[in-house]
Amino acid sequence: MKRAAALAICGLVAGAAVAPAAPGPRYRIGFANLTDDPGTKIEATGFTGDLVRESFVLAVRELPVDLVLYDNHGDPHRAIANAETAVRDRVDLFIEYNDDPSANASVAAIMTKAGLPVLAINYPVPGAPLYTADDGEAGRIAGEALAESALRDWEGHPLLGLIVGDWERGAARLDARAAGVRAGLTRRLKTLRIVKIAPADLGRVASANPGAKLLVATMSDPLALAAKQTLEAAGRAGDAVIVGQGLDPSIHGGQSDRREIDPNNRGSIVFGSVAFYLDRYGYEVLPLALAVLRGERIPARTVTRHVLVTASTVWREYPPTDLQ
Amino acid sequence: MKLVRIAATLALVLALAAPAFAQGDAACKNLVAPSPFGPTDQTGATNRVTPAVTKAAAAEIQEGKAIPMSFILKDGVPLFGTRFSKTVLTAHSLAPGGAFGENQVTYMEDTWLSQSHVGTHLDGMGHIGIRDCYYNQTQMGKFITQNYITKLGLENLKSFATRGVLVDLVRYYQSQNKLRSNPACTKPCLDKGTVISAADVQGALKMTNTTLREGDIVIIHTGWGNLFEQFPKQNAVFSSGEPGPGKDAARWLADQKIVALGADTWGVEVLPNEDPKEAFPVHPILLTNNGIHIIENVRTDLMADEVARTGRATFFFYMSVPRAYGLTGNFVGIDGIR
Repeated sequence: MKRAAALAICGLVAGAAVAPAAPGPRYRIGFANLTDDPGTKIEATGFTGDLVRESFVLAVRELPVDLVLYDNHGDPHRAIANAETAVRDRVDLFIEYNDDPSANASVAAIMTKAGLPVLAINYPVPGAPLYTADDGEAGRIAGEALAESALRDWEGHPLLGLIVGDWERGAARLDARAAGVRAGLTRRLKTLRIVKIAPADLGRVASANPGAKLLVATMSDPLALAAKQTLEAAGRAGDAVIVGQGLDPSIHGGQSDRREIDPNNRGSIVFGSVAFYLDRYGYEVLPLALAVLRGERIPARTVTRHVLVTASTVWREYPPTDLQ
Repeated sequence: MKLVRIAATLALVLALAAPAFAQGDAACKNLVAPSPFGPTDQTGATNRVTPAVTKAAAAEIQEGKAIPMSFILKDGVPLFGTRFSKTVLTAHSLAPGGAFGENQVTYMEDTWLSQSHVGTHLDGMGHIGIRDCYYNQTQMGKFITQNYITKLGLENLKSFATRGVLVDLVRYYQSQNKLRSNPACTKPCLDKGTVISAADVQGALKMTNTTLREGDIVIIHTGWGNLFEQFPKQNAVFSSGEPGPGKDAARWLADQKIVALGADTWGVEVLPNEDPKEAFPVHPILLTNNGIHIIENVRTDLMADEVARTGRATFFFYMSVPRAYGLTGNFVGIDGIR
């Protein structure tokens, strides 16, 4: 009865409920999400934790897996408690998404004692394979795209690189992203002056450099949209290009949504965003979990395949489901 | 040598000038299956509705009872974005002094401004393709004007007078103790994202001892249409996704040589679909590669009640489609006659 109640609270998603019985064994996999809160943005992107959770619920449909869901609520104590509950729930493997190193060490100890394999998302759990975003690579892709744009459209003009971020939030991730942007920009524009600024400084910096073409790398998509507004207000939209990070739902959508990155909006100064696919983590991580359970070797570190998505590729990458 | 360079340059220029999706006939042969009804076929699966099929279907009429299977099309029903369906009434002759003659005849008519894929509607062969390759390996770019298509239009359809089969997935999921309803449904429904497999369809057919036969029209009851009925209150939920057949169910149904697949959903396939990188994968399996029509937003609840009451899942499928030239689809009225 107690276990039934726990499952009701955590939410049990059975792949069998929606898929034909697959041959071979079925597994019970626990997934503790960083947070299920639809109002909390995660990983210094515009994605929210509920989208990560939903991706697991969708991805499990065709797999021989019963998924047991837990919500860490961004709370280290809750993360440890969830790991203990997962052991009692007799999961075959535990997927941990929690950003506190100390709690992750405790989770590792709990699972080792129980003899259960662990997979970690974005933050290491000692001894567990890690699936993670590659912030440096994502930044590099953005930087190179901006540099190529400048070489194509503004050769011979004075240029200024601007890296815009909320630097207090997710500092390690943002530093890696910013370093990647810098590397990407300077690979082709070796002498480019690059300034790292806060969003509130963008208008002032743009106005202080009236002769320069602005190559703006924002650390998230909401910041890309805000940067566009700022540059428009400063009368500098014609002198700037912006690339965001994340490709979250604030910047792309269906045909009816008419978001910034859209095939019918090819003239936008926000010409792309580097995809992080947090809303597809389930499709990436559950196959790794199954491989572990089947005794296959998986890499100690698997990274997201980041790509630059533009108006001309967005519907190939994220097909819309609404019709006009 | 110079001539070769000029020829190569010319070929490159011509290639770059071609429309983005222009495939050429050869490419369409690689992308789309040929029609089983021959290389000139524009009709699709209604070729299967032969006189013998219609005559056999007539045996389903045992009580003469007609059960409505289409939703009423009116303002407020779920539509995406800027999709519209509006009518303007002409009623001049009802104004004082507007009646005609001593016998005071009056009249009214309508101007109908609407997109065709609204409400309960049929998807024709010109609706869905892969790049510019459509049903029967048709390179569609050659056959479109600003106003209509000049190949694969609804005027090529034959009769839909055949046997209908209702497949009640709600009852089947209940019987398997795996129904996960959506709280917005006021009656039991499969939730959005629920993948209906071939095994599910087969299991539901078995519940009524029904075997599909060539020329049938299959109608799936998921309960999701309950949200359509609640318009406009649940329009956003209705359009946010849907339960529906996945790819293996679509392939199995195509193998049964049916004429059409309908459901009480707006897309007649599971959404979000199985692979987030694919768009509407069931549509090209049925329409583009097999010539099987799709009927969306079918009202299924009344027939589902009837099937549950009697244990008989078959009926005479009565649907007329206006043969308007060059349309890719149109809204339809359907009755299931028992």
